[in-house]
Amino acid sequence: MKKDGILYTVVFSFVITFLFVFLLALANEGTSEIVQKNQELARQKAILSAMAIPYSTDKEVNVLYKSIEILDKEGVRLYKSMQGGKTIYAKEFSGSGLWGTITGILSVDEQVSQIVGIQIVNHNETPGLGGRVAEPWFKEQFRGLKAKNGKIRVTYGAEAGSGKANKEEGIVDGITGASRTSQSMDTILNGELVVLKKILGGTK
Amino acid sequence: MTAKDLNKISRENLWFNNPIFIQILGICSTLAVTNLLTNTLIMTLGVTFVAAFSNLTIAFMKDWIPRKVRMIVQVLIISFYVIIVDILLRAFLPEISKNLGPYVGLIITNCILMGRAEAFAQSNPPFPAFWDGLTSGIGYMWVLMTIAFVRELLGFGTLFGFPVTPSWFPQWTIMVMAPSAFFLVAILLWIAKNRMTGGKA
Repeated sequence: MKKDGILYTVVFSFVITFLFVFLLALANEGTSEIVQKNQELARQKAILSAMAIPYSTDKEVNVLYKSIEILDKEGVRLYKSMQGGKTIYAKEFSGSGLWGTITGILSVDEQVSQIVGIQIVNHNETPGLGGRVAEPWFKEQFRGLKAKNGKIRVTYGAEAGSGKANKEEGIVDGITGASRTSQSMDTILNGELVVLKKILGGTK
Repeated sequence: MTAKDLNKISRENLWFNNPIFIQILGICSTLAVTNLLTNTLIMTLGVTFVAAFSNLTIAFMKDWIPRKVRMIVQVLIISFYVIIVDILLRAFLPEISKNLGPYVGLIITNCILMGRAEAFAQSNPPFPAFWDGLTSGIGYMWVLMTIAFVRELLGFGTLFGFPVTPSWFPQWTIMVMAPSAFFLVAILLWIAKNRMTGGKA
């Protein structure tokens, strides 16, 4: 068979593609269980840290996670837990960032007047810029953040990093160089606060 | 292929024909990932691994690859190794995989990989090709790490995430953003060219 003939080319391309894709499928299949376990563990850890429940080992995560009550209200899944005599709720959120969907956990108190904490589960923001939403300094700003008139504000543009952040006023420092991601976080979280308020507001 | 030839390949790739300084390849990632040392290190390790093994594989197969489809096959092999890296990171280093996000997949489009496959692996035996890929990757790595060192130090005041600058030191926002990489690449290019030509234009 001629090496540059059409038949050889077609057969070669087919065989080589099949071979490499087959190997990839094997690798993917072989690790899918570990990947799934990692993801589930990451999700449980995110819920725990959003609700400010401390944990140290992976085993502890499993035990603590089981202590959280899972409710279904108006088609929305909520996580409920008692912490320090207060009832707190958590909800998974997702919304569009600059490049893709940002998913995470938002935890609030019973009156939805204060955020307990947030965690980012998944995002595709630019590493080093928008990707910093997942860094502790950004997330820690939400711990105990008061929602003023039911709203919070993430600063962006020239305001980001200008020291306007104020927990009492519900203002969080945005990320320098990532205005769009900061803006997205503002939109997503405020939307979630409205939803939570609607669901939890009626239970009082 | 003697030790002398291998030595020549590494000298070429690390300095005299450095992918960034002379071939000006892989500039997109140079601009994008170099504001944190950790991200840069993992990314360049990935590129080095993929460059070495894709070169090796292509050099092994080159006699069977029809000329018409050789570039498609090169991309196929490169993507294969990149996806392998991605799968391994996701399974065994989930934290790092999360930090890098889409950048692992973007290694596929790094011009150095295609460049070395086409320029070297396609016409050389497997072992020297592997060596060429490896040293090209390292040549790319040291330049990027130099840029990342300056950017992270001045932009965040940290090195590998550890704070090093005193608290009164202002953080240079420009160093966090892509434009600073343009300045730094240009300055490094200028210094490197100057050294290579001994100051003569």
